[in-house]
Amino acid sequence: MMGTGCTLVAAIGIAACGSSSSSSSSSSSSGSSSGGGKSLTIYSSLPLQGTSRGQSEAVVNGAKLALQQAGGKVNGLNVTYTSLDDSTAAAGKWDPAQVAKDAQQAASDSNSIAYIGEFNSGASAVSIPILNRVPLLQVSPSNTAVGLTANVPGATPGEPAKYYPTRKRNYGRIVPKDTIQAAALVALMKSDGCKSVYVLNDREVYGQGLATNVALAAKTAGLKVDGNQGIDPKAPNYRSQASQIHSPCFLFSGITANNGVQVYKDIAAADPSAKLYGPDGVAEAAFTTNEPAGLQGRTQLTVATLDPKAYPAAGRAFFKQFSATYNVASPDPYAIYGYEAMSVVLDAIKRSGSSSRQSVIDAFFQTKNRSSVLGTYSIDANGDTTLTTYGVYKVVGGKLVFSKSIKVKPGA
Amino acid sequence: MEAASFAAGRVRRASALAWVRGLLSSYGLYVALLALPLVYGINDLQHAHNLTRLGQNLVNGLSNGAIWALVALGYTLVYGIIELINFAHGDVFMIGSFASFAFWTTLGLTVATSVLGLVGGLLVTLVVSMIACGALNVMIERVAYRPLRNAPKLAPLITAVGFSFILQNVGELWLGPAQHNVSDLIHAQQKVFSISGVVVNRSDLLALAVTAPLVILLTTFIARSRLGKAMRATAQDPEAARLMGINVDTTISAAFALGGMMAGAGGLIYALYQTNIWFFQGFRAGLFAFTAAVMGGIGNLRGAVAGGLIIGCVQQISDNRFGSQWTEAIVFGYLILVMVFKPQGLFGEQTREAG
Amino acid sequence: MDLSMLGALTRPLREIVANKWFNRIAVPVVIGFAIVFPLFFVGASPFINNTVQALVYVVMALGLNVVVGFAGLLDLGYVAFYAMGSYAIGWFGSEFLYPVNHQKGVHFLVSRLPGSLPGVHINFFIVIVIAAALAAAAGAVIGLPTLRLRGDYIAIVTLAFGEIIGNIAANGDQLHFGQYTLTAGRQGITPVDVPNLPGVGDFSPLNNRPWYYVALALVLIVLFCNVRLRDSRLGRAWIALREDEVAAASMGVPIVRTKLLAYATGAAFGGMAGVLLSSYTNTVNADSFNFSFSIFVLAMVILGGLGSIWGVVLGALALSYFNTYGIPDVLGPFLKNFGLDVTQLGFGIFGFVLVLMMVLRPQGLLPERRRKLEMTQGIGADESLVEVNA
Repeated sequence: MMGTGCTLVAAIGIAACGSSSSSSSSSSSSGSSSGGGKSLTIYSSLPLQGTSRGQSEAVVNGAKLALQQAGGKVNGLNVTYTSLDDSTAAAGKWDPAQVAKDAQQAASDSNSIAYIGEFNSGASAVSIPILNRVPLLQVSPSNTAVGLTANVPGATPGEPAKYYPTRKRNYGRIVPKDTIQAAALVALMKSDGCKSVYVLNDREVYGQGLATNVALAAKTAGLKVDGNQGIDPKAPNYRSQASQIHSPCFLFSGITANNGVQVYKDIAAADPSAKLYGPDGVAEAAFTTNEPAGLQGRTQLTVATLDPKAYPAAGRAFFKQFSATYNVASPDPYAIYGYEAMSVVLDAIKRSGSSSRQSVIDAFFQTKNRSSVLGTYSIDANGDTTLTTYGVYKVVGGKLVFSKSIKVKPGA
Repeated sequence: MEAASFAAGRVRRASALAWVRGLLSSYGLYVALLALPLVYGINDLQHAHNLTRLGQNLVNGLSNGAIWALVALGYTLVYGIIELINFAHGDVFMIGSFASFAFWTTLGLTVATSVLGLVGGLLVTLVVSMIACGALNVMIERVAYRPLRNAPKLAPLITAVGFSFILQNVGELWLGPAQHNVSDLIHAQQKVFSISGVVVNRSDLLALAVTAPLVILLTTFIARSRLGKAMRATAQDPEAARLMGINVDTTISAAFALGGMMAGAGGLIYALYQTNIWFFQGFRAGLFAFTAAVMGGIGNLRGAVAGGLIIGCVQQISDNRFGSQWTEAIVFGYLILVMVFKPQGLFGEQTREAG
Repeated sequence: MDLSMLGALTRPLREIVANKWFNRIAVPVVIGFAIVFPLFFVGASPFINNTVQALVYVVMALGLNVVVGFAGLLDLGYVAFYAMGSYAIGWFGSEFLYPVNHQKGVHFLVSRLPGSLPGVHINFFIVIVIAAALAAAAGAVIGLPTLRLRGDYIAIVTLAFGEIIGNIAANGDQLHFGQYTLTAGRQGITPVDVPNLPGVGDFSPLNNRPWYYVALALVLIVLFCNVRLRDSRLGRAWIALREDEVAAASMGVPIVRTKLLAYATGAAFGGMAGVLLSSYTNTVNADSFNFSFSIFVLAMVILGGLGSIWGVVLGALALSYFNTYGIPDVLGPFLKNFGLDVTQLGFGIFGFVLVLMMVLRPQGLLPERRRKLEMTQGIGADESLVEVNA
């Protein structure tokens, strides 16, 4: 999912230059790194501080579980896992300088074999070009911005080629891209009887890109877009802006850390009958627990994650295993993506039969009909997954509650 | 520096230029200030045939501006006396919001509390927040500014920024890096009444109802009380004031205390009004409020209030017409216009006299 | 520790720096050391990485020193010139201007890789010159409204300009000029061209050494300019202006030109550093153009000693390393004993250091001789409390 830029950076130019090495903090190794011979290192780079902390932890735990189940070994080589932090404390979200540093760290380690991340699309736009020069396989558990992989409507000119200076691909993702999410959101709004929709976006790679995709999908589906405006994430409120909006349905295309809750509050107050929609960028605890109770029944969010019950048998087994290992009743939606990101990377190493970085990248792009915890999918030439199903969640009692799934026709 | 030319044409052109410049410097700012409401007023009349939208902008602007006005008072008091831009002031205001939120949570105020309990509880919170921020401001003055009374002017400015960072860090540790949503105790966005389509919400009434008496109290205090007189004397000439037996240090502390108290009150209103608080809110509040203080003529209390209300209106019109993303640039654009045309401010003439 | 004690501690240091033999021997030794030492580290060493950043800050601090230290114009919006430099490389060294020349791109003295890409790609070193010119122009424009103002009011106007430029950078993707936009907004411009210089190796994220040498060269050039400027007629005019504007004017110093040249010169250095920093981090991110960046650079100047060139270099290196090593590696473990997480205290610690620094040693580590005289003999003390209102 998401992209972003560090908003409130203000006090942070400093932390951006500082707080650096501590970021590589929570490094943990699951396989035993004792034995002789070469060992491989898989890095992950995720925002471990700020509003996305919960999701990042779920990804890290999912990845650890996958490695643990593989016995910490692949092709007889030890595999260690190092988790890096791409956020700074004061920004409360990812920071470009920090992302660059993480990517450099992974790139300069002669044992590194793959890089899981970033969590945010805007951050991946910074790290992909760095890792592309190595080249090192990069798999994102959550990026949805279309331009990272494909030159389709919604991408900005020059995307995605500009992220790959060597002109060869090294990046893939296991969540459907925004064209799919946009189509799912539009389908959801249509099925709820929306005649027109107003979109506010947080003007970041993710928010603005998704908003563009929604506008495109809405056009094809015959849903009118009354407006698509940017917000200032540092503003104290959006009342004057909201008072201009008179649409039956409203979508905030952005992330929680960009003042997401206040946007919904002010929109809901300006028009008490508007139906509220949101993307995976706000589908997190920091949003659901802070949204006023009065709004919760009215808000519907889409996430690429489905109800545990809707998953294939392998997926259901994963949720069971994850809950038991980490002692959480209902795993964060992103846990399964962390698990699958690590699994598909290990699978690529295994199939490549070597520890050469290029051959692992090649093996990843040859992933075909992989039966995984997410269901059976392939990776296409752009590095995109062929999965197209989105889950619709309602916010009830401060929690995300699964309501239905929407399957989007590929190519929508 | 250059030999002046006495050619007649030159003189005439120079005088015409001077006339234009004079005109610009006396009225340019007023034209710039009135441009936004005038343009949009005409625009509204043409398209909607009424002024509801502009009226709504102005109502929101006045209530938002009331908060900036309270913060601006602190800037103007301090700058008027020791000519220091107290960069930490916006963050004292932020601490005011945080302290208010913490205190009312301790009191157990919720959306369900009865009206009487709410009014009483919030009044106590107001007093607590004012005292806390006043004390904090005095403490900052003692630690960071007083030791630097005789240092180069840049030194206290840097300590002010240093304290601003420290307070922001405190706020961030306190409630996290993202905007923290607080319970909407007063149902901020509930309509109270409306005049020809212009809605007045509870939040608007609250902001004005708290600000007005505080401003009146403060101006009366500065104008009438002994300490107020001492402040005005110190502002005019610290050395002379000292020679006349005024304790300059005490007077400066008093200015910081009063400024902090206003910021504390502003902090509570902000929390109730916006229903979200943020460790970084003080940065923008501080800059907007300083703009307001400069606009009103630094050192001039009434000017600061007027400046705050003007900034509030500019901000709301910009939010409404251009989208909130451009607001910052527009408000700071106004600041530069003020500095270019009238560095002494709209009501600058009476700077020293008004305290 | 009181002020006099600190003064006594640094006195020998100051005397050494003032000694002419220091300049004849120590400077070549330091430069020689600076050239050789990266060879002892691997190319991707994080230490070299941090040193490159520190050197970029040295350039910025030296630029700001011209404005604040020499000419006494307090500039709180220095980040604007970092932004100008960043966008110079963003416009002329990336795929940002994608549609240009029917998407075939415009190329000038670049290597094969960017040479085949759409957009404008001009040689990095030419972009540095362009950035210097752009930033200098911006500096003069920002300087104009402050000509009539003094002290704190200059600070506020420059701060406002810095914020406006940040705001325009973040919203510039909505300012259309035909099929172009002004900036890429908060989406940022990624990736950005790297320098192309045969002989020093490949400018890749895996090899920091070439970056280091480019940064070092930039530092030396800017250092040279700074020393020459300080001792020139213009430099003396700046200092005269700083000491007493009215007296300077009556002695024939052209105030307007001198002030604008100070802004322009300082801005040019900032622009050059901006190009290097953006190319090095491989991204132009609108969110990094914020107030705290200006303050960070200003703190380096003040910590080193306003107006003192070697002091500013020292201040920039000290604060930069303090941020990359001092806070996480030294204070981190120490604070951990008290159950505190240093990553959450970064800018609080920085603020604390600012306060401490000013209270203990307001004149900086290596104060300029003239300033030291002011501090100890009370010349210019009237500046402190009772300055005439602007």
